[in-house]
Amino acid sequence: INAEYMGHKISDKVYVGLAGLATDNQTVYERIKFRSSLYKLREERDLSPKALASMISHMLYERRFGPWFTEPIIAGLDESNNPYVCAMDLLGADCIPGNFVVTGTCSESLYGCCESFWRPDLEPDELFETISQALLSALDRDCLAGWGATVVIITKDKSVTREIKCRQD
Amino acid sequence: VSTQSTWKSDRVALHKNIGLRVQWYEYQNNGAIPGVRSVSQMLSNMLYYRRFFPYYTFNLLAGVDENGEGVVFGYDAVGCTEPQKYGCSGSGNALIEPILDNQVLRQHQTKAGGEADFTMQEAVDLIKDAFTSAGERDIYTGDSVEIFVISKDGVKQENFPLKRD
Repeated sequence: INAEYMGHKISDKVYVGLAGLATDNQTVYERIKFRSSLYKLREERDLSPKALASMISHMLYERRFGPWFTEPIIAGLDESNNPYVCAMDLLGADCIPGNFVVTGTCSESLYGCCESFWRPDLEPDELFETISQALLSALDRDCLAGWGATVVIITKDKSVTREIKCRQD
Repeated sequence: VSTQSTWKSDRVALHKNIGLRVQWYEYQNNGAIPGVRSVSQMLSNMLYYRRFFPYYTFNLLAGVDENGEGVVFGYDAVGCTEPQKYGCSGSGNALIEPILDNQVLRQHQTKAGGEADFTMQEAVDLIKDAFTSAGERDIYTGDSVEIFVISKDGVKQENFPLKRD
């Protein structure tokens, strides 16, 4: 997972990350939190990542002619604990590749790193190492990204958040 | 061995010019072949000569220097250069550079014990992996890669096919 600001928790198994204009990130996150809380109250269950992605996609397209300048990533485990990752552009066009998604200022570098380091069926610890190496190598090459990284590993029993220190420039 | 990316016409012109200048060096120096550091300086000067109407090329010059060490010189369009351990240029530049950073410098791998020391085969495999990854995500990278392996015994060329899309 990569986001310009920290990934935001929607539920134990679903996280959203927003990249782009910081003020819009904040506003969109507030709206997502509002809608997902309402969903939880009405449905008495947590949002699945697929439903959340659909919801955010609609939310962004509502503003088709004056968009939120934010590019979200949704990551989580669905009801059967299968991983789900989804990236969207600022108008809500989603992309569900099945392996990894990236967004943000250094997304090209991240594509290179992730494509090279990722392989299917990684254990949680291996995945953490893979993500960290990809993130750190990519953001070292981007002047706008940096100052550390936060990695969240979501498994069916728990989610572990680790903060990684890197070059503070 | 030098390679350029971006504008083909400037690429071809520059490549020819470099070839001619190297030939002249050999004629004027009793058949001595210029070292990679001499060629790197010459290329830098050639590019800066056209400072106000540049060659639209981003060069990469690679070779083995007098001490037997491999060295790569990366250039911008007007000739700014420095010797490096590795470099890349082109549309897949942003994708491949961090892979090489990670695997060669190993700055973020605390248990790896410093910079990597590759055998010929490991280096070629790394390049093949890097280009395969770049080929997946970069629309302009694809079809095939020509890999030149330069050692003190000479230059070996290998053509490595990539996804044809």
